[in-house]
Amino acid sequence: MNTDWSILWGEAGWSILTGLNFTLKLAICSLILAVSIGFAMGTLRWIGWRWAEPICWFFVEFSRNTPPVVQILFWYFSASYILPQPLFIALRDFGYEMGAAVIALSIYHGAFFSEVVRAGLNAIPRGQLEAARALGLGLGQALRRVLYPQALRILVPPLVNEATSLVKNTSLAMAIGVTELTYQYRSIDNFLFRGLEALTAVTVIYFILCLLMAGIGNLVQARLSRHIHARSATVAAGSGLS
Amino acid sequence: MSNWERVWTLANWQRLLFGDLFTRGQLGGIALTLTIGLLAILGSTLIGAIVGLMRNSPRRSLNVPAMIYVQAFRNVPLLILVFWAYFVPPALGFQISKFMSVLIALTLFTGAYIAEIVHGGIKSVAPANIEAGRALGLAGYQIHTKIVLPQAFFNMLPALAGRYVVSIKNTSLAFLIGLTDLTEIGKQIGARLMTAPLEVYLTLLIIYFVVNRAISALVRLLEDRKRFNRLFLRI
Repeated sequence: MNTDWSILWGEAGWSILTGLNFTLKLAICSLILAVSIGFAMGTLRWIGWRWAEPICWFFVEFSRNTPPVVQILFWYFSASYILPQPLFIALRDFGYEMGAAVIALSIYHGAFFSEVVRAGLNAIPRGQLEAARALGLGLGQALRRVLYPQALRILVPPLVNEATSLVKNTSLAMAIGVTELTYQYRSIDNFLFRGLEALTAVTVIYFILCLLMAGIGNLVQARLSRHIHARSATVAAGSGLS
Repeated sequence: MSNWERVWTLANWQRLLFGDLFTRGQLGGIALTLTIGLLAILGSTLIGAIVGLMRNSPRRSLNVPAMIYVQAFRNVPLLILVFWAYFVPPALGFQISKFMSVLIALTLFTGAYIAEIVHGGIKSVAPANIEAGRALGLAGYQIHTKIVLPQAFFNMLPALAGRYVVSIKNTSLAFLIGLTDLTEIGKQIGARLMTAPLEVYLTLLIIYFVVNRAISALVRLLEDRKRFNRLFLRI
């Protein structure tokens, strides 16, 4: 077979870049929403209010156990029955494909994030919360100043894993016609018959995106735990055990 | 007639379960989803076990290729892998069926994740176990098969269950290259009725939910130490 890599510097290259633009927008919007859902839901489940527990359990289990593509299709085709009409009309004028993909991906990954957050909070000894409450901090203050900072340190690697899988799952939005990277590859294959070149380019872009996420995760992790290393080094030096 | 009655007819359920098996002889629906899913689970567990063991080996000639495989397949969306397996082989001159391309892509993708789980599982076994085995005079392969792997496998079960559920969910990508799996049948039913998308897609979500809960419940049965020992260690 003959390949012509120069097409990537022409129109095809531009359409891949616009695809990247949409992929990034989709990823960032759903990442912000998913992390918020995750923290809210995870904290709610960790607190364990009796009336909230079954609802949260059902939400998390239902969205974790169903395929993201079907969720995207569900939100795309049946949103007009579920969403309040003014919201739906606003989203429709804006271009509803993107909205459906963002809603579905943030709910799907929000469920995973909430499990991660709950596990992180559970890993902190209960005494920390009790001590914070005993010092007169409210529940919100105790969470913000005592529990989250400690939990985040443990949470960064799983959170980054989840975020990477969210970025990968944005490729599913092509099922409803969001013009992101994978969609652009399909259209280049259909109109220019240069599938292999476009597919290679798109694969490399996804690969670089995922590696970047992992790199950022490592940086954040190092930054969050730098004073721990410093402290343990001083403790070790002071005790003469180093 | 309500929308639910229109969706939940006998003919529709038959199609959701078996696809067009009885009319056109093509397997589809839940049967196809489960076939792809279970074959991919078997294949990826095999690949994952081999690659995970390779990653743990001290030899560079073994652990470097294993690491490259894991990084290459974990950092790319599964959909892209499916497209590689489906659109590229014909361009290079050999034919591949839709079923095979989805199966290959899913197996390689899940295999990379399972390799990481196996790698972590083996590392989770305390090194004193290996030293004890060596002190008892066991050979290297005996230490692995009798001491390290059974414990590692037990530790890996929760992560494996999660991965198996994900790979059943991922079979739903098959509809994007035109295989009549559960999602595609659902889409067809929805397109034919036109008026009941909410009911159709809720039905799909419920079916996937039930299937996946059943699979994770099956793996959870093994998380009982006594049952696990009886099945795998004959103790």
